Amino acid sequence: MSLKIIESCVNCFACEPVCPSKAIYEAKPHFLIDAKKCTECVGEFDEPQCASICPIEGAILDALGIAINPPGSLTGISPEKMAEAMAELQAH
Amino acid sequence: MELPVLNETPKSGCAASSCGSNDDQLNHLSEEIRAKVQNHPCYSEDAHHYFARMHVAVAPACNIQCHYCNRKYDCANESRPGVVSELLTPNQAVKKTMAVAANIPQMTVLGIAGPGDPLANPERTFETFRRLSEEAPDIKLCVSTNGLALPDAVEELSKHNIDHVTITINCVDPKVGAKIYPWIFWKNKRIKGEKAAKILIEQQQKGLEMLVAKGILVKVNSVLIPGVNDKHLAEVSRIVKEKGAFLHNVMPLIAEAEHGTFYGVMGQRGPTNDELQALQDECAGDMNMMRHCRQCRADAVGMLGEDRGDEFTLDKIEDMEIDYQAAMEKRKVIHQAIEAEMNSKRAAKLEVKAEKLNTRPVLMAVATSGQNVINVHFGHAKEFLIYEASPNGVRFISHRKVDQYCEGDTSCGDGESVLQRTIRTLEGCEAVLCSKIGYEPWEMLENAGITPNGEHAMENIEEAVMLVYNEMAMAGKLDEVKQRATA
Repeated sequence: MSLKIIESCVNCFACEPVCPSKAIYEAKPHFLIDAKKCTECVGEFDEPQCASICPIEGAILDALGIAINPPGSLTGISPEKMAEAMAELQAH
Repeated sequence: MELPVLNETPKSGCAASSCGSNDDQLNHLSEEIRAKVQNHPCYSEDAHHYFARMHVAVAPACNIQCHYCNRKYDCANESRPGVVSELLTPNQAVKKTMAVAANIPQMTVLGIAGPGDPLANPERTFETFRRLSEEAPDIKLCVSTNGLALPDAVEELSKHNIDHVTITINCVDPKVGAKIYPWIFWKNKRIKGEKAAKILIEQQQKGLEMLVAKGILVKVNSVLIPGVNDKHLAEVSRIVKEKGAFLHNVMPLIAEAEHGTFYGVMGQRGPTNDELQALQDECAGDMNMMRHCRQCRADAVGMLGEDRGDEFTLDKIEDMEIDYQAAMEKRKVIHQAIEAEMNSKRAAKLEVKAEKLNTRPVLMAVATSGQNVINVHFGHAKEFLIYEASPNGVRFISHRKVDQYCEGDTSCGDGESVLQRTIRTLEGCEAVLCSKIGYEPWEMLENAGITPNGEHAMENIEEAVMLVYNEMAMAGKLDEVKQRATA
């Protein structure tokens, strides 16, 4: 049972100090979670701490590989709106 | 210690000496506060012509999300808060600060401003401050914060001799806040909506009160977001002044789709120059306003209008041997010379008065790189300072950048030349004062209704602006009321 940080991580350090299990460590090219130490915060907090402070949608996955903060959940920008804005930028 | 209450400034017709917006900005502050800010470029309009600042990017983590911020902050070509190229450890930050202090002796101020929230990175931030207060005691330390973690940090801040704190306060109403802050991380939970904004607002106000009680100078930054908090910021200004903040800095929202911020992607516009000025003028009735902010990067180095960060990258400072004791001696001599120059200029300042009393105000753009004189060639100017001349005197209004935030961005206008873009930047101005100007821009400026003027090179800005104003008045150009151009 462990969460996972993937490549969209921007190395902002926010998750590292809030992890109660000291499972998160700085690595290249991005922070990682030590699967042996991660408890998903069960028994400590209602919500996993790293995923509660992470500002990047999709950067932290649960044990099933599903994004805890899916697109649109943090920024309020719906995936459709984001795709539309990016397409417009590309067109210029 | 209690800060003295600031004098009321008149609501209208404020001349340069009373408006809190020019080099006499600090005249109505107590001697104690003036001594604290007289060489601080971000707190004193006068000082920003002479002294430099730097930010060290040691604080990456953030505990809130703002709709004008994108946490993927790694663009070397952008100049805006929250953007940096190299994240530093406290050790690297100390080394960089000392290298800059030795090479740019007019650098008096070290700030930690991000790229996240400094107080959400207390260990990295305070380690940097602790070491600098010991190893480079002649540098002023300051910090800016969103305020969420501020009440818990006040005690520690006061230990490290930090006597300037900036809090970004965009609202005092959770309903408004919910449109600016999508979430905060608070007591081990991510909290959203009005509930989140309410907690943030309470923490900001509490932190402000605690800092004032400790005698720490507080500047409040607010981002002006049209349609979101534009009607609300005058109240913010009044409340923070009441609680003892000594300076309010209302900044325009920066929002472009390519920044990937919520506001950028959603097409939220920033304020026009006129809207910004109108709000600053409205707040100025209650509060000492700052108008010279350059909204710099969290790793900016140099005078406010410039960024010399490229000269002090990690690999470059690695090779620099700094004898800080020797540097401190040199810095002291240079600081004294600058202060003497500032004082003598202040004393020798000619009282250039407006000659006609019924003429209308005029905006003028000035090309300067510091020292409070006109000293930049029109074509070399990266920014212009905007002054307003009127029968009441000359007052500083704002700066306007010439370069767009992202260079080579084609969305800035199809086929528009740099010169055309520059001239568009000067919209609303009727004259531009520079040290020299070429033939081509001269003609284009005239066609755009802006009179170029290269006759006052190396002269004091305010004196030159008033002289030009008087010439315009004598020529009968200012008698009728001109429709103010709206951008």
